[in-house]
Parts: sequence; structure tokens; C-alpha cells
Amino acid sequence: MKNHLVTLSLNGVEREAACESRTTLLDFIRHDLGLTGTHAGCEHGVCGACTVEFDGEVVRSCLMFACQANGASVNTVEGIAKSGEMSDLQSAFKKYHALQCGFCTAGFLMSAKDLLNKNPNPTELEVREGLSGNLCRCTGYVGIVEAVLEVASARAYKNGREHA
Amino acid sequence: MKSAPFVMHQVNSQADILNLLDQYGDDARIIAGGQTLVPVLAMRVASPDHLIDINKVIELKNFGVSGDVLLVGSGVRQAELEKWSDLDKTQPLLSMMFPWIAHAPIRNRGTVCGSIAHADPSAELVLGLAVLDGSVTLVSKKKKRIVQAKDFFLGALQTCRQSNEFIESVQFPIRGHDARFGFSEYGYRHGDYAVVAVAVIQEGNSWTVGFGGVDDTVRVYKCVANSINEISQFIDDLASETEVREDPTATSGLRRHLMRSLGKRACQQATDFRVIK
Repeated sequence: MKNHLVTLSLNGVEREAACESRTTLLDFIRHDLGLTGTHAGCEHGVCGACTVEFDGEVVRSCLMFACQANGASVNTVEGIAKSGEMSDLQSAFKKYHALQCGFCTAGFLMSAKDLLNKNPNPTELEVREGLSGNLCRCTGYVGIVEAVLEVASARAYKNGREHA
Repeated sequence: MKSAPFVMHQVNSQADILNLLDQYGDDARIIAGGQTLVPVLAMRVASPDHLIDINKVIELKNFGVSGDVLLVGSGVRQAELEKWSDLDKTQPLLSMMFPWIAHAPIRNRGTVCGSIAHADPSAELVLGLAVLDGSVTLVSKKKKRIVQAKDFFLGALQTCRQSNEFIESVQFPIRGHDARFGFSEYGYRHGDYAVVAVAVIQEGNSWTVGFGGVDDTVRVYKCVANSINEISQFIDDLASETEVREDPTATSGLRRHLMRSLGKRACQQATDFRVIK
């Protein structure tokens, strides 16, 4: 029985839908709100494909219920490139072949975005640590790590020039 | 991989939690972070009729030093404690453990008390509470009691909590200024539960050594040792002589080996530990 009415801000847009108690935030975003960029992988918190930003922190959307997100602010991979153009992070993923089948990519992008927000100048080890909660079964992690490191140094260069 | 239907109770006060537990008992489960409970529900290992969501209960979100303990309310997320600027000074052992607990997105949502409530003998915080000789505050509608960790954990995923009781907080005793700490763990994948984890507290020549992952509950040993050689010998003998769990993830032989190698590493770390004033 869909007895919970959930209102939340999804990528800055107010959305509302009814759901059952047992509906996960992941299924709610995909099935009830129609944004399918966030992927359902293992559905028990291991793979990281469903990673979203929930009230400013990255979480597994498969490990919480939609009714717990009432009133929250949620950002998904669709919110990364609002203009329709790829963000620097997405472009770097493309450049470094950081995706093959693309199933894990939404989760990696959300984790990488959060990592760079909190630590704009990470070492390779810190990038690997920061992304250790996400699994990729196609490419391995070399391209993904290279992409994140390049974005970090490109942003640092850009900021340096702006302040020069 | 979807939970069976249940009724979700989203409460605003501890009084509501206690009333619901009193009413539903074993048919209800508390959900805080849900980082273990939601997979358990999805796999239908458990299918309670009622979930009591405590995330909106403000009074449970407090943590801090209270007398000679670090008190952590049941609404406190692991990441909140991990990022607390005084954690290094107050509970260095927990500070060493946090990076080993799952991954950042899990710690962002998972709670400290949730990990204790789940009572997995391989979990870092369960080891931490046991080796620090901490306690758990249990409340029901009728009474409140404080239980020492050694009495709280009864077995793997089993505790002495009664069906009408709620974990209000856990208490991690703060050790003296001379205390030194070490922690070492081995798991198959970074962020997984430990195959074996070791936590060590050294206070002068008095040592406390705790092992997670080797039995149904954390094992804690105390001894007096005057040198790193003496404590190493103690751990060697312990690893040879005690019963050690054997399961499909690791033979008892591997676990004994890990008790020795990780145990010595943690002791060395304690010896090298720099006390933060």
C-alpha cells in the first residue's frame, strides 16, 4: 500500500510521489520519479552503483527507504551536468576510458565528485581510498583514477590562473 | 532482493520508541542507519512487521565526554564521530578503527550504536567497545540499565537486549594519559568485515589485547609484560593454545597465523604510539 507521500528536492527540483514503506530510495528515484541514471547493482550496499548525495553526504540509495527521505535534498548523476554539457569529471572519464559498460559510472561520478569537493588535491592513494566503495567489473580502476587526478590538477591550475 | 512489507513508524521522541517497543516487542525492529538492517530485510533474513525509524529523534544525536567516558547516543552516525576533532585525543583507538569500517558512504549513514546492536564479532566497533571495557545503556518503558560489554555480547549477532529494550547510548571509557593504543586488521577486501582484527591497549607494563573475528564474541585478554618480546610470546602462546573459529572464509590455521602477525604489529604500534596532549 502506497501510504507514504514523499516530497523531496531532486537535483534542485521539488518532486513528490507516493510509495510503500519498503520502497528503497533507489527504486523511488528510478521507478516513481523516473530518473534512471542511478543504477541498481547489488542492492545490498556492496557495489556503490546507486550512490547519491543525500543532504550533502554521499550514501547508498539502496540502503535507505524512500519514506526516510521526506523533506531531504537529493542529488543524482543527472544533476552533475545540468546544462546538458558534460562536466569536467564526465569529460575526463571519457578521455581516460574510465568506463566500458557504464553500469558503475553513475556511482563513481557521485563518489568522485564528493571526493574532490572534500579534498580538491588528492594523492593517487587518496583517490583509490575515496573510490574504494565503488566496484567496476570492466575496466579496472587505472583509467578512473587517472581521470579524477587530471580533474583535480586541471581545477587547481584553473584556480591558480584565476587568482594570479 | 526487496523487503517484505512492513509498517514504518517515524517517531520524534524516545518516549514514542519505548511505547512502540512495549507494544510490538519482537515484531518490531529499530532502524537508525540501516546499513546492515536494510540488506538483511532485502534478503529476507528478517521480516519484522514494524520498523521504528529513530532518525528524527533529536535527543539521540548527542555525543561527547561525560565524566570519564565518551558517550555516544544512538542517533550518532559513524562519520560524525570519525570527523570529530577531539577523537584523536579522547579515543585514539576508535580513531584508528574508523578507516577500516566499510566505506565512507556507509559510515555517512551507519550509526555507532547500530554496529554495537548488530553485534557482529568481526565488527571493529564491537571490538573497540569490548577491549575498552565499555558499556551499553538499555532503556525500556519500565527501567533503565547499564550493561558492561562483556555481558552485553552473548554470541554472534546475539546480545542481552530484551525485546522491549532500546539502546539509548554506548559508553567508551577514556583511558589515562599514559595509555597507548594499537590496531591491526586483515580482511579480503578493504572495507569488508575482518577475518581477524586486533586491538591493543598498553598502560605501563599492563597490556589488554582484544581479538575480533576468531570466535562468536570478541576475546579480551590481559597480561603483564615488560618488553615487546614478552608480549609477543604471550600472543604466540595464546594463538597456539586457544580454540579458534574455522569457517569457509578462513581456516583456524590462517586465523592463528593472523592472531600472531597482526597481534605483534598492533603491540609494536602501541609501543610506538605518540600520546597527544
